[in-house]
Amino acid sequence: MLVLLFILFGGLAIGCAINVVAQRNPLYCAISLIGVFMSLACLYLMLAAPFIAAVQVIVYAGAIMVLVVFVIMLLNVEQEERRKIRMGFLLPAAIALAAALIAEVTFILASVDSEPLQVSDLGLTRSIGPALFTQYLLPFEITSILLLMAIVGAMTLARRTRELSTGARVIPGAQVLALSEIDPTTSHEEPGTIESHTTSEAAQVLGITDLRNQTRRE
Amino acid sequence: MDQVLDIILRFVAITVVFVVVLLIVAYTVLAERRILGFIQGRLGPNRVGYGGFLQPFADLLKFILKEDIVPDKSTRFIYFLAPVVTTMAAMMTMIVYPFGPEVKLPVIGEIQLVVARFDVALLYVLGITSLGVYGIALAGWSSNNKYSLMGGLRSSAQMISYELALGLSLIGPIMLAGTLDLGQIVEVQSRWHGTGWLILFAPLSFITYLIAAIAETNRVPFDLPEAETELVAGFHTEYSAMKFALFFLAEYINMFTVSMLATTLFLGGWNVPFADVVFGRGTFLFALVSVIGFLVKVMFFLFLYIWIRGTLPRFRFDQLMNFGWKFLLPLALVSIFITATLIFSKVI
Repeated sequence: MLVLLFILFGGLAIGCAINVVAQRNPLYCAISLIGVFMSLACLYLMLAAPFIAAVQVIVYAGAIMVLVVFVIMLLNVEQEERRKIRMGFLLPAAIALAAALIAEVTFILASVDSEPLQVSDLGLTRSIGPALFTQYLLPFEITSILLLMAIVGAMTLARRTRELSTGARVIPGAQVLALSEIDPTTSHEEPGTIESHTTSEAAQVLGITDLRNQTRRE
Repeated sequence: MDQVLDIILRFVAITVVFVVVLLIVAYTVLAERRILGFIQGRLGPNRVGYGGFLQPFADLLKFILKEDIVPDKSTRFIYFLAPVVTTMAAMMTMIVYPFGPEVKLPVIGEIQLVVARFDVALLYVLGITSLGVYGIALAGWSSNNKYSLMGGLRSSAQMISYELALGLSLIGPIMLAGTLDLGQIVEVQSRWHGTGWLILFAPLSFITYLIAAIAETNRVPFDLPEAETELVAGFHTEYSAMKFALFFLAEYINMFTVSMLATTLFLGGWNVPFADVVFGRGTFLFALVSVIGFLVKVMFFLFLYIWIRGTLPRFRFDQLMNFGWKFLLPLALVSIFITATLIFSKVI
């Protein structure tokens, strides 16, 4: 029974993995990758690690791949054209790596005894939780800080600076402008207005740098 | 032999649960139309059968007989896949909810009123729920229609945003019960003659969950993905006949499962107050009353959904995002903090 299920999900994982590489439409590749993750989750479940299986589905299939699909849809990525492989040295390298992998698998199959392991409760939530917060506390906290740094970094990179937006135009002459038109950092929720005659005056009133003028001077 | 028998029993259990839930879902649609009619001062469907009792079947027949139109420039494979994914993700979570306590039957022996009981049931629910977004996103993309695409994108953004608040609001009850097994969470709530409901200890989590769940199922006032005044019908604009019916079905099944989760986590699951005093634990009557109690609680939530739909207007998209990230998420974190403090100071 277990063997049948293993063959089913293992085969599914390999088939989907091949499909990820073979498909030309990026969305089909992404969907195949979701298939790989789901089959892997089923394999974890059969290895008596339900927690890892659930986390695999939640994190990879439910969060990361949603983002990937979202981006593919948003950017409307077109089908890739089939190109000839230019870098010829990749082929021998691939063959060498595949040979190494096969050698490893044979070594493991030959040397490690094939006695089935005792079913332990290692994969259960009740044993993972305490271990994570006692024995592996330091790695756990370091990983958390790493993730926090990634979030802060992403926000810093994506944050809009206080510079005059490139689309900002003030026609010479007195006029009243919506703040959000000139200053990109103000959101649409605070609809303030300023009165100005020129673009540089608007920038001065707001206290933001007028990048367009700087580049012109240079 | 035992294994084969077990598998057959599981199949029977799954079939029974699916048929019962689908029937309830069909009548939820009817109830929604009648109650909305009442709220808006009109009648609603009342012609087919007594008081519109056969309306769901008439609707089903109509969905099957309608012409199935497929847009010419759609991405065929994904276009067909999307409704299947949505419905499957909605249906798969049904199996983990305990409908009632263990019951002794004369011939079969002792049975549990749950299809599958396992260690990480709650995580399983979260995982499968998070897969539901694919169906909607892919439907929007593959239809090759700008309204569909906008609906799909909105829906993905909304579901990703509110999934966080939803997941965080579940942590309160998990901490209080000390387990992810839904069966055990219900058992925890059966103290004090079945009145130890977790809503008493984590009311803030309950409110957060309720709001996030409405957004997660794309219902009013969070039904931006299918805002008919702006997007025709959103992600399922190009779907007709039975494929549309599948999306429709998935929405109502999602409503039902979300209500079941709220009942199980916060309202004591199948626990009916003082039923064990009146009938005694383990008797057949006790189990019957418990199952009815569970269904009544779930139906209360379904009614609440319909009531909200009849009462509240729709959000604007930026309001929706601000509400999710700037209000609901901090609220969920605060509720975790309060619950943790209460547990740590041994108040609970």
